Amino acid sequence: MFTRWTPLLVVIAIQILSGRASIGQNQTRSVLSSKSDVECQMDVRTFEEEIWAKVGERTCLKCHNVNGDASDSDFLLSAIDTALEDTQPIMLENSRAFETMATAIEGNRSRMLLKVSGELDHGGGEVLKPDSHGYKILERYLRRLSRDGTELASHEPIDGYTAPPFFEGVAMISQPRLLRRITLSLSGRLPSEEELGAVHQNGLSAMDAILDRIMKEDAFFVQLKEGFNDIFLTVGIEDNAETLLSYDHFEHTRLWTQKHDLDHLPKTDQQKARWALADVYRDALLREPLELIAFIVRNDRPFSELATADYIMVSPYTARGYGIFEEMKDQFKNIDDPFEYIPARLKALKGRDGRTQESTTGLYPHAGFLSMFHYLRRYPSTETNRNRLRARMFFQHFLGIDLMQLAPRGTDASAVAAKYETPTMQAAECVVCHKVMDPVAGLFQDFNFEGNLGPRKKGWYDDMFQAGFEDESLPASERWRAQQWLAERAIKHPRFPIAMVEHVYSILFGRKVLQPPEDIGSPMFGANRRAYLAQRKMIEKVAKQFAESNLNLKTAFKALLLSDFYRADGLATVAEHPQRSSELDDVGVVRLLGPEQLERKLQAIFGKPWGRLGKELKILYGGIDSITVTERNADPSGAMGAIQRIMANDVACNHVAKDFRLDPSQRLLFSKIEPSVLPTDEASIQQIRQAIVSLQQRILGQDRAIDHPEVERAFQLFVGTLADAKAQVSYEPRESYFCGGREEFRVNDPDYTVRAWRGVVTYLLRQHEFLYE
Amino acid sequence: MNNSVYGSRRNFLKLCSHAGLGFATPLGLASMVQSKGDAAEFEGYPGPYYVVFNASGGWDTTYLMDPKGIDGINRLYQEEDIVTVGEHRFAPTAKHIKDGMSNEDFFAKNGSELRVLNGLDLSVNNHTPCARYMATGKLDSLAYPTFPALVAACYGSQAPLAFLTFGNYSATGNIVPMSRVPYLQSLNLLAKGDYVEGNDRAPYHDSFVSDRIERALEQQFEARVSEVRLPRVEWSQSMLYSAQVNSKALQRVVPYIPKVPAKERLAQQADISLAAFKAGVCVSANLSIGQFDSHNNNDVDQMTLLPELLAGMDSLLRRAEDLQIRDKLVVIIQSEMGRTPNYNSGNGKDHWSIGSVMFLGTGITGNRVIGATDEKQQLVPIDPKTLTIDRVKGIRVRPEHIHLALRQFAGVQDHAFCKQFPLEVAPSEKLEGFWG
Repeated sequence: MFTRWTPLLVVIAIQILSGRASIGQNQTRSVLSSKSDVECQMDVRTFEEEIWAKVGERTCLKCHNVNGDASDSDFLLSAIDTALEDTQPIMLENSRAFETMATAIEGNRSRMLLKVSGELDHGGGEVLKPDSHGYKILERYLRRLSRDGTELASHEPIDGYTAPPFFEGVAMISQPRLLRRITLSLSGRLPSEEELGAVHQNGLSAMDAILDRIMKEDAFFVQLKEGFNDIFLTVGIEDNAETLLSYDHFEHTRLWTQKHDLDHLPKTDQQKARWALADVYRDALLREPLELIAFIVRNDRPFSELATADYIMVSPYTARGYGIFEEMKDQFKNIDDPFEYIPARLKALKGRDGRTQESTTGLYPHAGFLSMFHYLRRYPSTETNRNRLRARMFFQHFLGIDLMQLAPRGTDASAVAAKYETPTMQAAECVVCHKVMDPVAGLFQDFNFEGNLGPRKKGWYDDMFQAGFEDESLPASERWRAQQWLAERAIKHPRFPIAMVEHVYSILFGRKVLQPPEDIGSPMFGANRRAYLAQRKMIEKVAKQFAESNLNLKTAFKALLLSDFYRADGLATVAEHPQRSSELDDVGVVRLLGPEQLERKLQAIFGKPWGRLGKELKILYGGIDSITVTERNADPSGAMGAIQRIMANDVACNHVAKDFRLDPSQRLLFSKIEPSVLPTDEASIQQIRQAIVSLQQRILGQDRAIDHPEVERAFQLFVGTLADAKAQVSYEPRESYFCGGREEFRVNDPDYTVRAWRGVVTYLLRQHEFLYE
Repeated sequence: MNNSVYGSRRNFLKLCSHAGLGFATPLGLASMVQSKGDAAEFEGYPGPYYVVFNASGGWDTTYLMDPKGIDGINRLYQEEDIVTVGEHRFAPTAKHIKDGMSNEDFFAKNGSELRVLNGLDLSVNNHTPCARYMATGKLDSLAYPTFPALVAACYGSQAPLAFLTFGNYSATGNIVPMSRVPYLQSLNLLAKGDYVEGNDRAPYHDSFVSDRIERALEQQFEARVSEVRLPRVEWSQSMLYSAQVNSKALQRVVPYIPKVPAKERLAQQADISLAAFKAGVCVSANLSIGQFDSHNNNDVDQMTLLPELLAGMDSLLRRAEDLQIRDKLVVIIQSEMGRTPNYNSGNGKDHWSIGSVMFLGTGITGNRVIGATDEKQQLVPIDPKTLTIDRVKGIRVRPEHIHLALRQFAGVQDHAFCKQFPLEVAPSEKLEGFWG
């Protein structure tokens, strides 16, 4: 299958193979079996961390496995299956195979060192240079073997460190806070009293039903679409969206807004109305791919329809663009709603020359995203790119493999290019990837550079590997439905459910899953690898559940939301050893909220969004435009710190005085205190402290005791502010004009308490617990 | 108000010291702790300021600093048309461009300060890995920071816009936050976050309230230093506190924001960067223009974009002169790859793994060309000690060699962040005297 890929890809590919290594000669078995189980385990662990992870898995395994190029060799190894509870038996076999090879002597030298140097006709040539870390690791391994004859010398854990069970000492989030995290994250709201009650009563077991309800709310689908756009970026179309519909096939309909009857409006208003209509139409078109995702998930359909859906989603507005409005209009609930989407199938496309697209069904061969004009336009092609970008995105989006992520260093790419007429088919270092990528590129040959149906006039390139997937060629009879043919294979691929779960992970955690560590010279390599494997095990477990649920994406959401990785919240004990600290580096959600998420959180807490993060401050606050800026800022810069400062000031200004003007029963922030309450007696002090507890609960999601140090700090801020105000020569007896006056009310503030409370709210809004998830 | 800001910063440093935040701590807190005494009173980062110009997509070096004019490599000029200014040989472009700056003008104006390396082996020829390799010096890792991010982390932990980026590969290695400031006027807004709509006469809070809020946040940060936290929590709390404390220093930028924004895209990026440099709130900037990927109509595209790139450079230098920081700039001009020595059927040129890079600025001796490519645009090895051509025993200069030299040049080669992201260059391959 992927046996010639780069090390990372090889590891990924081999993980999906089920082949097991044959055991090498039994020379060392007796020695090992004479040891105690504990000694054996220690040997195997040392072997795994030092030799296997750094050399065996990365360098040898790609060929020396039962399906690899060196499958006829005596030296056969097996990949670790992270789904297994106990990987020791496999590792023991690998360890024995290594010892056999390493202790075999040719002349005066180890056969293993000779082979990795490219000698003894090693089929893989030179795989480790003598000055490389990997070669030195093997040398050290051999020295250890030879020191006492047959075994690794050291039974001591590496660096004096023994890795504990991965989540040992990690504290999990309380269930009410987990509920709040989930409702804010998925649905942009605070938990209801009913939900909190259910969690208090039934703990985690209540969560399943709650999640089922949440994942039916409209707000969940807003978050879902936003998250998947971060991955697919399909709203990032630079041209006017109606150009997604080609002039050749939709000449008479794609610009329907230009002719739409607006006679019911005064003539002077018609042009402006037409522009507005066009804007909404474009917006509706751009939303179609994400609406497909929402439709699949909302209706519990298998998420494989991402690639196999034999329909698209259209709204009354976009249906007009495709020219299918008349035949569909009865199916819409409201034909004036530009954003009501329903499934539709296009007929085979008919060109301006009168020719109709080949189709045995008479329909356009829909294949989910793979045949959507939006997706193909977002990842365009050129005469020399030849759809390779589309192929690359297919692997990345549908199988979770980034072909460009870790390119192998060729000897000299320019020399290769000069030496071969067609390097991508002839030069081994190019063929390794192009053999995988170019057939998939060929499957898109009937689409032009812009993503519209339109095969290349000169025919597809013959200096490329021809259309297909893996080792299978596209039959000529299937070419008209090449995307469907590809989709059928993609969704059966073992990587498909894993890739989908990785997408959900990135939506929930705001970052991609860990990649296997590459730097074998790093002292933290072992720790990083343990972290990678722990996470990988979780991802694969969730992928299995997801697959067993008929690929219902909600299953993946649920499983990830209840995983230890999502619930991890703190440490019960200090992770003193650097290895342990490094292992835990990526544990916990701890995600800086993006501009849209922060607006939703403000809406949930204050009843309305701030309204500025989605507009002029969006990119400054680390957001994306899906075209040129496609990755969100994970860490706040000073510029973002300034925006946080502005937001905290402005939101507090907008809400504190206004909240106090409401009847207490309607207040969101100060339902149990009035501005007249001063810290003059114990009862008032307790009332103020209780108000702070309520504020921290609402704004930060923290349930704190009235004597908690953080409550005390906020209390001191409040009373200190009052004291400072009192110490002034004079101060305005009313709240600032800007925090109310602009809405034609002024709040009297003779004791300065309203402004002091505003200071407290500003302080809370600048905190980590508010700005991060 | 300012006193309290600096007070916060001083205390912040003290907190870091007490907490034992060492080099393992992200965000450059360590450098804040370890830095000299003057760092406690942040007076603004004084320079040098590092600017990286990216010709994103892959420039045609034979139309700039590595001219050929033979064997059909260039259709717009022949070998005899190549122009020489001092040590520099370059392609003539004045007759072929409509806008921007010609090579002739650029080299005449800057050649005496310009240092060129021709024959840079990028080893692969795909955009993503090449851009990553060129930007970080490491091909096979996604974790490494770009050079401007690295130097910003080492020197600018207190600077609110330490690392500005306008595109291209911008990984930070999680040691410094990146800042995107797309519009100049955004800086005005950010600089006055404690005032309603930036109005100096309309503070949100009375000053004593603001001071109380800052002190409460500082005390909270201090309390958290001693708490047992997950690494991500510890790290993100530091990042957040630092971002908010440092953001106050953005006030310094206001006087340097040009009244009239530039029209050209690189000049806009340059103006934002220079205002931030002059204010001492920025260490490095990653500037970028794209569309160099001229698979079709190479000459048309390159004759549009190269002059735009050079004009952007010129704008940066001129504006820096006006702001009196020209002598503090270090400029690197690069692209992730070159273009093939032959045209394809669409009159374009495809990806070529041999490239060039140019340097200019304080501490860099100009009027010098290092390395070469041959008549087939293949790399010619050089002796790393003498930097002269050595076809037999010489080395192929790759991005890690350049980045190691850059780290040494910037004086950060022994910084913990550099050790965190080591570059594997054999001692015998280190470039010596690369800048002198």
